[in-house]
Formats: sequence, structure tokens, C-alpha cells
Amino acid sequence: MDHTQTITKFLVDEFLPDVPAESLAADYDLLSGGVIDSLGLLKVIAWLEDRFDVVVDDIEIEPDNFRTVAAMNAFVQNARRTG
Amino acid sequence: MVTTAQAVKPWLSSRSFVESFSTNVRRFPDSPALVWRGEPVSYRELHDRALRARAELSGADIGAAPIGVRCSKSPDSIALVLACLMDQRSFLLPATTLPEHTLQELFRRAGCARVVTVPGSSGRYSWVATPGADGIRRGRVAADRVRSFSPDPEAVTFMLTTSGSTGLPKIVPLSEGAVDRFTDWAGGQFELGAGRAVLNFSPLSFDLCLLDIWATLKHGGCVVLVEPARATSGKYLRDLLTSHEVELVQAVPLFYQLLTQAHRDNAGGFASVRHVIVTGDSIAPQCLAQLPGLFPHARLYNLYGCTETNDSLLHEIDPTEAPTGALPLGSPLPGVWTLLVNEDGTIRNGPGTGELYVSTPFQTSCYLDLPYHESRFVAHPDGADALRYFRTGDLVHRHENGSLTLEGRTDFQVKVRGVRTNIEDVERVLGTHPDIAEVAVVAVPDLVAGHFLHAEIRRVPGSALTSLSLRQFCADQLPQTAIPSTFHITDDPLPRTSTGKVDRHLTARLRSRESRKES
Repeated sequence: MDHTQTITKFLVDEFLPDVPAESLAADYDLLSGGVIDSLGLLKVIAWLEDRFDVVVDDIEIEPDNFRTVAAMNAFVQNARRTG
Repeated sequence: MVTTAQAVKPWLSSRSFVESFSTNVRRFPDSPALVWRGEPVSYRELHDRALRARAELSGADIGAAPIGVRCSKSPDSIALVLACLMDQRSFLLPATTLPEHTLQELFRRAGCARVVTVPGSSGRYSWVATPGADGIRRGRVAADRVRSFSPDPEAVTFMLTTSGSTGLPKIVPLSEGAVDRFTDWAGGQFELGAGRAVLNFSPLSFDLCLLDIWATLKHGGCVVLVEPARATSGKYLRDLLTSHEVELVQAVPLFYQLLTQAHRDNAGGFASVRHVIVTGDSIAPQCLAQLPGLFPHARLYNLYGCTETNDSLLHEIDPTEAPTGALPLGSPLPGVWTLLVNEDGTIRNGPGTGELYVSTPFQTSCYLDLPYHESRFVAHPDGADALRYFRTGDLVHRHENGSLTLEGRTDFQVKVRGVRTNIEDVERVLGTHPDIAEVAVVAVPDLVAGHFLHAEIRRVPGSALTSLSLRQFCADQLPQTAIPSTFHITDDPLPRTSTGKVDRHLTARLRSRESRKES
């Protein structure tokens, strides 16, 4: 299942209150632009774990897994399949 | 009159880093020098890797020219730095979070003939020539240095970077002697030695590594390296401390905040830790109050320093005293001289507030670009000694009892996650955006990050400016820590002072009220 919309809505609500959800592209680099900093990343991971019932090991906190909406969506889908 | 030579005199017998490291390799080759991703790297293995890096360096046909080290933390990047130290070759170690063109400009200015990276986990170095820099400072070192090492206190080795008020970071060259003296002091003060494990939290480009990585390796200890990608996971940090029986921790307040949160459910504290150093920023009293419980057997310190001078003042925290307000900065380290200077340039001897000037045996002689901010390195205002003082830009208050506390800055710098950031720089960069009519950047105090930056922006009428495009714009021109955490884009004029300037104080007050409301 595709979670792009759910993830985008969370990110916009949480980090980009001035931005309409449709203007956040799935491939926008959230890390290099500082939308998500290293502390924001923890918040995102906690939300992903909670919302999608996945477990993110420390070892998986590779920033590239969370760089874009598309990467997060792929991460959640893979986590679900293996879990 | 005190001269530089006299001030440095207690350190004349300081031991050479390279000679000490070589002795460690001979004496206990199988002891761990590093722990990386759970695996120990012995002194022998680290030395072998450094020799391989050295062989690659001599095969690169760049003579004695400086190199750029563009590597995040790993045993291979540490081996590369060791190779440079053995060759007495200068190397620029900039923050890897700087924008691409800023990095290129810095490498060019430092005369780096090659920029070295360690791609992925390949363990092999990759060498890229710096356009326009090849050969700038070639041939400074005689060829025989490559064969045998002989200490040269004046030779520049480390070149670190610090935030610059014109946007481009300043390059801080450190001499072999300065590094030798500092690593000797740190070893004695914090009981570094064989079998002692030290946590390294900060990135490899930070001056803090001179203590937790380089002083540790000089004294035969073991550096437990925090992986940068996992540095904000409190659980990971907690496990590193316990599984490797770490004895010394030096970190910015953020680290202690993360650890406190991760440790909440666990009884007891980190029993192996004997020394805990808080540095880089002022720590919140709530966080400070947790430290004695977290580290029941440790001595606690507040350590003050700048990249330009290295550590200068040390205060030992009394764990039985309830923390109130700002921590004292403490007393000068051996060989360190300090002054408080009034706004009119006169010296303040009694209680009151002034700018802190320091002179240390560990300091740089000047920024690499001589004319660039030369005003920061000055003589004693009264000519009372012959030392060279660094104007820290920190406003410091001397209390009735003589103790010193940090009050603020003489300029627009704040610490964001322990990194010096100039809010005027950020405003200047944003001000060049064609859709921005006016901008105010303010630092909002934050329990975890120290400060976060907020940008208040009035856009040009009719523009479709959003924070998304602005972030990309900032990312191309500013280090990551200088990109504002929050943007507020408005069509209304920003608050002004009576003299017509954008009122940062009012903007900051409005913003912190709003952030309290949200949380």
C-alpha cells in the first residue's frame, strides 16, 4: 500500500506549516534543506514506528532511508514485508 | 614583561604526538586504539593503515603540498590524519556539512593540492585535484622528512575551520607545538592512558577531537567513536558507554540531554565514567541537575575554549550544589592568560562585564588569510606583556567573588547544537533572494539544541515564496546548522525599532511566545 499522502501530510503539518501539501514533491531532499534536522529525524522515526507499527532498529537509522517522502514510503513498505 | 616564549616555557618539554604514538605502537601493539561499529582497531592495525595512507600520499606526486581531508569519521580518515602528522604535512579538515562551493573555495585558499575522500566503506582513498591550487605551497618541506620524523614545533599540521562573519569560514592553522602542548595538558588533567576508554561524540572536523581523539591516541588510550549518522540516538549512546566501559566523556549539552532521555527507565548510572566534560555551549540547569545521578562516580567539568585558542578555562562542578543560573567558566589552564576588556578598550580589573581576551599555549598564531580579521588577534591593550591575545567576542561577567560567567556576545553569533553561527550571515544570505523584501533572523532558546534559528520574512508582493524553496536556497549557501529551523512568511512589515532597524528583540519575543503556545 502506498503511504505517500499520509507521510506528506504529517511532514507538512509538523515541519512546514506554510506549505500546501501538494507542493511537497516526493523527491524533495528534506535533509539537505534542513526541513528535518538530526533531532527532527528522531521525531519522524517515532511517528513512523507508531503510525505504521514498524520497528526501526538503530542500525537502520541511515539518513538516506528518510531523505525524501518516497524513501520513507519505501522504507515503511519494506519494513512491513519483512516484519 | 611576559613574552610568548616565557608563557610557553612550562611546555617546552612537551612530548611530540607522533613520537608518543609510535611508542604506543611498539609498547602495546595489540591494545585497542579505536572502537568502530563495535569492532576494536589495535594500535598496530591503525599504524599499518596510517603507513598505507602515507604510501599513497607519497605516490600522489604532490611533494609537501597540503591536502584537503573531506572525510567523515572512520578508522581510515583517522589513519589519513595520522599519515599527515607523520609527514608534517598541513591538512585542511573542514566541516563536511558546508555547501559544495564553500568547501572548494576553502580547499583552494588552503592551497590543497589534492582533496581526499573515503568513498563508502571501501577503505580506499580517492584523490581529487583542487583546481587552481596545485603547487601553491609546494616544496616547503625537505624530502628527508618523509624518511625520518623530527619534531618541528612551528610546522603547521591541522587546519580547522570556524564560522566567519563574512560567510566564508576562516581557516585556523595549528602548529605541531600547539597540538603537542594541548594533548599533554589534556592527558595529565583527565588521566588519559593505556586501557582508558574515551568517548568521541563530535564530528572529526571539530576542535573537540584534539582532546577526545588525538590526546587519547597520544597517551595510549582507546577512542570509542560515535557514528555520526547515529549520534542523536540516546539508546545507541547509552549502549556505547556501558559496553565499552568509557571513562571520559566530552560533549555539548545536546549529548547529555539525549542520554538523560534514553536513561530515564534505567536504575543506577554509568559507573565506569570518571570524567564528564560539558563544553561548547551553556547547559540548561534542568539538564545539569541530572548529571550527578547519570555519572555517580565522575568528576564534572565545564570547559571553555574557542577553535582559535583551544581550551582556555576549566571549572569543576560541585555535584552537591544545586545548579542555579550560568555555570562559572572557572580558572585559566596552565600557561593561559585572560583579560576582561571594556567597550572603550580599557582593562576591567574589578567586577563587571567585558569582552574576554585570552592567550593560550595552544593557540593559532593567526587565521590563514592574514589580512582577514587580523583585528581578532591583538597585543595587550596596555602593553603590559608581549603576548598575543585572541578577542573571543564573548561578553563575560566577573562577579564580586572573582568568578566568571558567560553573558552573551559582542556580535551576532549564537550556538546552534554547539556550532557557532552568525545570524547576520543568515540574514545577509536570505536578503539576496529576489522575492524577499525584508528579513529578520532570530535565535530562539531551546532546551535541547541550545538555540534554534527562526526567520521572519516579508515577501515581495505577488511572489509565491514558500519555506521549501527558501530552504533549498539556504542549503546552497550556508552550512546546515545555519539553515533556520522555522520560517514565517508574511505580507506585513516587520517590527521596527525607533531608529528604523528591524527589531530583532521584539521578533524574538513574539516568536518564543508562539513556540511555547505550540508545545
